[in-house]
This record gives sequence, structure tokens and C-alpha cells, in this order.
Amino acid sequence: MRLAAVVWLLLCLGTVFATVALNFRLRTSLPPLAEAYVEMVPRELGAPNVITGILLTYRAFDTIGEVAVLFMVAAGIGLLLGAGSKTDHVSELQREEPEPSTEIVRTGADIMVPLIALFAIYIMAHGHLGPGGGFQGGAVIASCVLLVLLAKPDYRVKLAQLSVTESLAGVLIVLVGVAGLVFAGGFLDSRVLPAGEFGALVSAGAIPVLSVLLGAKVGCELSVIIERFRA
Amino acid sequence: MTDLIGSVVIFVGAVFLFSAGLGMFRMPDALTRIHAGTKATTLGNTLVLVGIAIYHPDWSLKLLIIVYFVLMTNPISSHALAHAAYTLRGRLGLTPFFNDDDVHDRGSSQ
Amino acid sequence: MTISHAVLTTGFLLMLIGIWGMLTQRDILRIIIGFALMGTGSHIVIVAIGYVADGTAPIIDSALAVSDAAGRAVDPIPSALAVTAIVIGLAVTAVMLAFALRLHAAKKTLSIDAFANSKW
Repeated sequence: MRLAAVVWLLLCLGTVFATVALNFRLRTSLPPLAEAYVEMVPRELGAPNVITGILLTYRAFDTIGEVAVLFMVAAGIGLLLGAGSKTDHVSELQREEPEPSTEIVRTGADIMVPLIALFAIYIMAHGHLGPGGGFQGGAVIASCVLLVLLAKPDYRVKLAQLSVTESLAGVLIVLVGVAGLVFAGGFLDSRVLPAGEFGALVSAGAIPVLSVLLGAKVGCELSVIIERFRA
Repeated sequence: MTDLIGSVVIFVGAVFLFSAGLGMFRMPDALTRIHAGTKATTLGNTLVLVGIAIYHPDWSLKLLIIVYFVLMTNPISSHALAHAAYTLRGRLGLTPFFNDDDVHDRGSSQ
Repeated sequence: MTISHAVLTTGFLLMLIGIWGMLTQRDILRIIIGFALMGTGSHIVIVAIGYVADGTAPIIDSALAVSDAAGRAVDPIPSALAVTAIVIGLAVTAVMLAFALRLHAAKKTLSIDAFANSKW
């Protein structure tokens, strides 16, 4: 009975998807809004990467909403997993002595952690010049923290300092947005800072600043989530 | 011509990646699954990147750095997984297919 | 049958496999994997819809000049939507895994049949 209902649902969905996929006609020119974005972002903002220009200036309010979702998730996981009562069965496996890491993992982490951190900072700083930006750099920083946790199992991530850093980054993002409201066109308008030379590292207004702040905030949040899952 | 060679190499890499997935599905316990998952995916990744390097020869240096990174990190991660699976044998359902007692019995019966 | 049709079919197939996994599996971790598969399939479909014939990435560098950007670039809006969608999919998967930990702590098992209190 249940299997029949599942098969029926999958057949209906499959029919809808097949209709969409078969009647798909490839575009030969951009739709008007996309054409306007592709032409406006290099000219008005001075940023070569059109997608980062859209995400951090023209649709920046959605980015703030996404940052709010990540913050709520970090708080929610802290509520679910961080009660810390000693009779909690969740931490039964982790309350024993953590197994010391082997020499291969420690040596590999010694080589890899500086490279990964450098790569994360590169992605965050070049968000407006090529693929990258705040969220991607933050995720790579969190993977760097995970590697350190694997190599030194008795390393405790300092949750209080990370929470303060993440909140400070969030406050600074909103302050940059209010500065855009006061000095330039609207909330989170990146033209508060000069556009500079096209393609340079320090250019495109406030977009690199927002990228770095977003990367710091997302990296701190994901590291807090990883630490909560661990203890 | 280089397009054809590059595409064939990418296809062989994709076949290896598919066999990694099939191996992880069909293997009986955790240690053999880790074995299937890491060897085949490392080779599959390397072949796909080599195929792309044949396709676009001016990206060769960056792709070589990526291949180096993959070759350095895949064995380390599979070693960490296998060490954890060996340490937790008997708990969490990670009993190996051949237990230690079977090996000792076969050794002592000769 | 162009490349776009193949990519769209792959994305939709992944979504269907993810939905099937969420509905028929008994283990909580497999349900979460099904959810992640469905999310990945939908991201592929979102990005594939924005393809323009013979287009390239909407980034102005040596491959794409400023003057012919409007003619040859791929639609950037679905890519921006996909970035947001991937981050939110990650957040929801993290909350689901935390719930799975709590459920395992409550009943010592990872099968959802142990939690079928309200049969109907």
C-alpha cells in the first residue's frame, strides 16, 4: 500500500519533470534583466565578477537574510547539542579519552593547514575578481579548523571568542549597510568606497570589505557548529 | 584530435568513479568499503584532471597543483577513517568481515 | 537532444532518487542523505536553466571582454540563487544531523520505526 503510493507519487513527479525537460528550448540571448545586470555591474560598481556584484549590492538584502539563517542554525544547534548535562547520553561516546591522532594525520595536517588557510583568504579577498566570495571562503576556513581538530583531538575551540567575533562581524556588515543608506544610493550600496581601478585587488567599492566580513562570520559559525557536534 | 583523446581519458576516469560508488555499495563491511572508496576515487579524480589538461594545455600547471593536492589528502583522510573504524571495531556496528579470532584459528590449525 | 537536455535530465533524476530515498528508507541517516541528494539535484536544475547558447561564465577577464559581455555571458541570476540555496541546504542538513543525534540518544537506535508512536 505504502510502496504503491510512493511509486504513484514518483510517476506523477517524473511526468512533470519530463515535460519541463523535453520542452526546454535553449536561449540564444539573455533575458532583459540579466542583460541589464551584466552591463551595469562592470560599469557602475567596477567589479569584474557579475555574480558577486549581484549578491553583494543589488540583491544584498537576500544575502543578509541568508546570514541570519546561518546564525539561527548555529544558535539552534547550540540549543540541541550543547546542554552539557553530565547524564546526557549524547556525549557518552565523547566523554571517554579522545583517541590520540596518528603520525600520518599529524604530518599531513602540518603541511596542509597553512595551504588551506592561505587558499581561504585568497578566495575571500578575490571575491570580486573571480569565482569566490564570502560564503565559499568561510566554508574553507571551517574545513581548516576541522583538520586541526582531527590532528589534535584535545584542542578545544574557544566558543566564547568565536561567538564574539561572529557577532562583531555581523554588526559591522549592518554598519556598512547603514553607511550605504546615508552616503550612497541605498542599504548595502557598495559605492560608499571608491570604485578604483578595474580588476585591481582593492577596487569595486565596499565589495571586498563585505566579502571579508561575510567570510569571517560564516567561518566562525561553521566552526562553532563543528565544535558542538564534537562535544 | 586532442579533443578526442581528452574526452576518452575523462570517460575512463568517470568509469573508475562509478566503480568506486558500486564498490562502496557492494562491499560487506567498513574497511573494504573505505578501500574501494579511496583507491578508485583518487585514480578517477586524477584521470579526469589529466583529461582536462589534454583538452586545455594552457591550464596544465594549475591542474598539476590540484592533482598534487588530491594525491596528498585522499590517503590521509582514508587513513584517518580506517584508523577510526579499526579502533571502534565491535561497537557502532563496525565489526570487520574477518574477525581476529578467525585468523588466529587458521594460523594455529596448520 | 543537446547538452542542456542531458544536464536537466540528470538533475531531475537526482531529485527523484532523493525523494524516493526520503520516503522508503528506514534508517535516519539514509533519509538525510536522500534530502541532500534532492537538494543537489535541484541546484543542478537551477543552474542549467540559465544557459545561453555558446555562452561563457559572466566574469569579465581574458575570456570575456566588457563590450561583448551582454552577448556571450550566461545568465548570472540563477547562479546567484544557487549560491544562496547551497548555503541554506547546508544549514538544514546540519540541523537534521543534530536531530538524528538526539533521536539516537533517546532510543539507542537509528531506525525511524522506533518513533512511530502515532500509527494511522
